[in-house]
Amino acid sequence: MNKKCLAPLLIVATLTLAACQSDKDKNYSGMGGDGDGSMPGDKVNMGDGGGIPPQRGDFNPDQADYQTLSSDTVYFAFDSSTIPGAERTKLAHVAEWMKANPGHSLFLAGHADKRGTPEYNRALGERRALAVREYLAGLGLPAVSLFTNSYGSDRPLVPGDSEEAYAKNRCVQIGVVVKP
Amino acid sequence: MTAFKFSPLFLRTILFTILLGGVTFTAHAQVNVEPSVLVRVGINPLGGAEGSMGTQVLSADLKRTGMISPVGGGSGDFVASGEVSESGVTGKLAKKSGEQVFSQTFSGKPRAAVHQFADAITKAVTGLPGFATSKIAFVSDSGGGKELYFGDIDGFGIRPITHDGVISASPSLNHDASKLTYTSYKSGYPDIYLIDLGSGDRKRIAFFPGINSGPAFSPDGSLIAMTLSKDGNPEVYVMPAGGGSPTRITRTRGAETSPSWSPTGDRLVYSSDDRGSPQLFISSSSDVSEPDHLVTGNSYCTRPDWSPDGKLICFTTRTGGQFQIGVYDVASRTAHLITTSGGQDPSWTADSRHLVYSNNGHLYILDVVSHQSTPIETSIGGAGEPTVSR
Repeated sequence: MNKKCLAPLLIVATLTLAACQSDKDKNYSGMGGDGDGSMPGDKVNMGDGGGIPPQRGDFNPDQADYQTLSSDTVYFAFDSSTIPGAERTKLAHVAEWMKANPGHSLFLAGHADKRGTPEYNRALGERRALAVREYLAGLGLPAVSLFTNSYGSDRPLVPGDSEEAYAKNRCVQIGVVVKP
Repeated sequence: MTAFKFSPLFLRTILFTILLGGVTFTAHAQVNVEPSVLVRVGINPLGGAEGSMGTQVLSADLKRTGMISPVGGGSGDFVASGEVSESGVTGKLAKKSGEQVFSQTFSGKPRAAVHQFADAITKAVTGLPGFATSKIAFVSDSGGGKELYFGDIDGFGIRPITHDGVISASPSLNHDASKLTYTSYKSGYPDIYLIDLGSGDRKRIAFFPGINSGPAFSPDGSLIAMTLSKDGNPEVYVMPAGGGSPTRITRTRGAETSPSWSPTGDRLVYSSDDRGSPQLFISSSSDVSEPDHLVTGNSYCTRPDWSPDGKLICFTTRTGGQFQIGVYDVASRTAHLITTSGGQDPSWTADSRHLVYSNNGHLYILDVVSHQSTPIETSIGGAGEPTVSR
């Protein structure tokens, strides 16, 4: 896949920018703070067993705007982080929107339905968010503008125990953030 | 009913045989624990200001072992007696013949001291460690956010540990329940925190880009295994309990979660979906090694927990659309289900015979030999992800 060739360059840019942007008062980026030696980015391995390493944005994740691109929420099959073919047109639309609206970043929030172990669901939500990030990077969006998080099954979008509710909670929400 | 007399050694052999018979060799007929093989411990009503509470708690603790039948003071293979005061318990255990087994002082608050007395009796008459003094921690969403709760394994004294109004998840207690590590979204992202339960101090120990989640204390409490996705994919890492540089343990294209330590601390069992659906694997806990796949016969296996005696690994599995608890036998490399009406997120108690697990927001203790499941009575609804000190 050709898109992977660009990834290392983008990551270097990402980490450099993220390091410059760290804000010790807010700590949203996961930088600074009280961890002894737990500094992120010290040993980033690219492409060994994974996709593009994730990054945290220097903004409050709870302030992401999920309304603007709400119709582009990407849905997944049970226990899967593969983006279904039918969902890919949504991501093409997201890429177009980003190109038409400079000055924005995306906050990709991964979710899983409530069934099963919360801990596995958190990893599943992360894999979904990272899969969407990699796909969007492949469509030409700079990785520095793509942030991710996983809420696993801990913050369902739709309450309830129906198959319908489960299906709506297996997703990645596309949040819009004004570039800091 | 026929009364049997057992020497402790003979009894241990019997219990061990039952354990193996019931758990390992599932193809054979299930050996049920007959009331006649329970050790009968007579309890003389305990004296002192807190004696009546003490008698009740002691009886419930001994019954919960699944190996002891508490009976009236006049009968039994052993007889327990003692005094309960505000500062502790003076407890005695004697054989039916009158020969003393122990006479010991257990200091602490009355209820805590009675739990110590119960564990001493359990150890003396079965040879196995008791779990009456164990603590549990769990998560509950009954208050809006997901907060952590902590208290006694019998459901007494459960109190909230966090009041953050955000997602708290996957708690793990160290062996003496003085420290707790867990995942919190306090920063907006899932980070790993360490709480000193004595002082209440809280420290963020892992906050890399991506998820930092599912921490588990090593048996000696010096290390914490966890899932980090900082390198592009959720993988298992090990880091010093006080924070520091993580050592990578897995390297796959799948997601690795819920590491649990072998009792010797040299290996980790965890869940990985590298082969499509989540399966259990064992790896070295010191560096990346070739993982050993545990064949369970089920395609969805998550959240393993390694028993303190090293022989069994319990896990959550999905079968027929329902989540159940399975047990994997390390020596025979076989697994079977031990629940039929649902359950998930099991954790072993100190005796390697009981599991604390959750089902539909309630917590239970399950005896893996008798398959008896007993609710843990708390007033907290929406409970999940229980963990036990051991």
